[in-house]
Amino acid sequence: MKLQNLRVMTRAWLLPVAAIVLAAGIFIADTIADLEIAFPAFYTVVVLLAVRFYKKRGVILVGAGCCALTLLSDVLTAASGSSGIGVINTTISLLAIATTTYLAVKIEAEKEAAYEARSQLAHVGRVTTLGELTASIAHEVNQPLAAAVINGNACMRWLAAEPPNLDEARQAAVRLVQDANRASEIIAQVRALTKSSPPKKDWLQINDIILATVTLIESEIRQNQVSLHTDLADDVPPVQGDRVQLQQVILNLVLNALEAMNRTPAGPRELIISSAKNDAKGVRIAVQDSGIGLAPDNLDRLFSAFYTTKPDGMGMGLAISRSIVEAHGGRIWATPNAPRGAVFQFILPVGIEP
Amino acid sequence: MSEDQPVVFVIDDSPSVRDALDSLIRSVHLNVRSFGSTEEFLLFKRPDAPGCIVLDVRLPGLSGLDFHREMAKSNIDLPVIFITGHGDVPMSVRAIKAGAIEFLPKPFRDQDLLDAIYLGIERDRSRRQASAIVAVLREHFASLTARERQVMLKVASGRPNKQIAAELKLSEVTVKVHRRHVMRKMKAKSLADLVRMADKLSDSAETA
Repeated sequence: MKLQNLRVMTRAWLLPVAAIVLAAGIFIADTIADLEIAFPAFYTVVVLLAVRFYKKRGVILVGAGCCALTLLSDVLTAASGSSGIGVINTTISLLAIATTTYLAVKIEAEKEAAYEARSQLAHVGRVTTLGELTASIAHEVNQPLAAAVINGNACMRWLAAEPPNLDEARQAAVRLVQDANRASEIIAQVRALTKSSPPKKDWLQINDIILATVTLIESEIRQNQVSLHTDLADDVPPVQGDRVQLQQVILNLVLNALEAMNRTPAGPRELIISSAKNDAKGVRIAVQDSGIGLAPDNLDRLFSAFYTTKPDGMGMGLAISRSIVEAHGGRIWATPNAPRGAVFQFILPVGIEP
Repeated sequence: MSEDQPVVFVIDDSPSVRDALDSLIRSVHLNVRSFGSTEEFLLFKRPDAPGCIVLDVRLPGLSGLDFHREMAKSNIDLPVIFITGHGDVPMSVRAIKAGAIEFLPKPFRDQDLLDAIYLGIERDRSRRQASAIVAVLREHFASLTARERQVMLKVASGRPNKQIAAELKLSEVTVKVHRRHVMRKMKAKSLADLVRMADKLSDSAETA
């Protein structure tokens, strides 16, 4: 899986070089060859290559550069005599380059918007499901509690009556007990819901899940000006579990890391996601950041529900992550990173091959 | 349930809340009828007595707030006290603006609910009295002949007998006879009394 890294890196320097070589080739061919051959039209390929590694402004500059080269070789060839066909060819080529540049920029902008929407969706989805879940649990528990309070009040009023109405008071007390039991039943159900979540047991390559998650938040990583390194061992055995839930855990850890790094003003922002074989029995996944780090006293409380160190946090992300990891038979923990930041790691046991 | 005893109507879809409210309201010697939905409440033949509604906001089908708005159309004038498990400020503002007595988030203090219920019943009682008086007046007014009504309205607008006689092309003596009949049939003790009655009748005609 180190390969994946290499591939990204090679592509990074190969494309601009290819584009420059191509542009130079077209320029030479256009300058020395016959005017009647519309060589400059091939500059469109250069523009299309530029889209792969430049943003909007860069692509426009490349387009303009190609137009300039076309005109330059025109001027150079004009010395040896020009023709009507040459002018038409040049015009058509210039139009082709301009059109390609325009379309390329537009497509790029739309791709960007799609990325944006996707990462926002992931973020919003995470927040709203938690928010809605809490609101609905709160309402479900509040209903029997409200009834219990009313019954308690009614009971006291029946007892305070002259003469006391013991029968009515007893009935109210019986209802009060039922209401309180109902409230604790609801809480037990919620607990059961979070405990026995993964009915899905698929065979999963954890590296695939990491890469899929990274793709989902690539633009968010880019926007936060964070440099991401993935250090994925290629000998990790498959694990058994729920793909979406494990993705949720990694997403939580990565989003937390990005937030932690956003709260540090200076210094390099480095995010390292790694996977490794953890002796013979498990797979270890680590998310390492250079953010504000962790206070040593908070380490054990980090994973408790409703505990948060973030100004607008809900304290649910890590709690849910822990319950998912534990439901998969694994464990999750955090340690300080050197020289700064935090490392969140979790181990998943390796399943027995079917 | 005697005719004049006030009745509190509880509409809440949760049986446990409903039973608890039922018991609490009975403990202060008020009559109570409970319903699981607004439909059930509408099917019930309400006794002719003052009352108020304790209405849950979240109900199956029509929400409590929507039902409150629809009530006028179904000719239900009962004051409403909202109770809710998930109330927010805009919701309570909306409810109070629409004329609700109180908006209580669950769980609430029992005394707050009972105070709101007493206020609601009191408000309904005075509304009923006012409309009962108008009903009697209407009845009296209906017993007048067409001519007597004409005379009554002119008297109430302050015209002297002589002018009324001229306007209706009657003799002054005839006008006096009509006027005496009007006073008797309307059971008016004085001219001022009659003027007030005419005012009440025209007010209720406007609001109706």
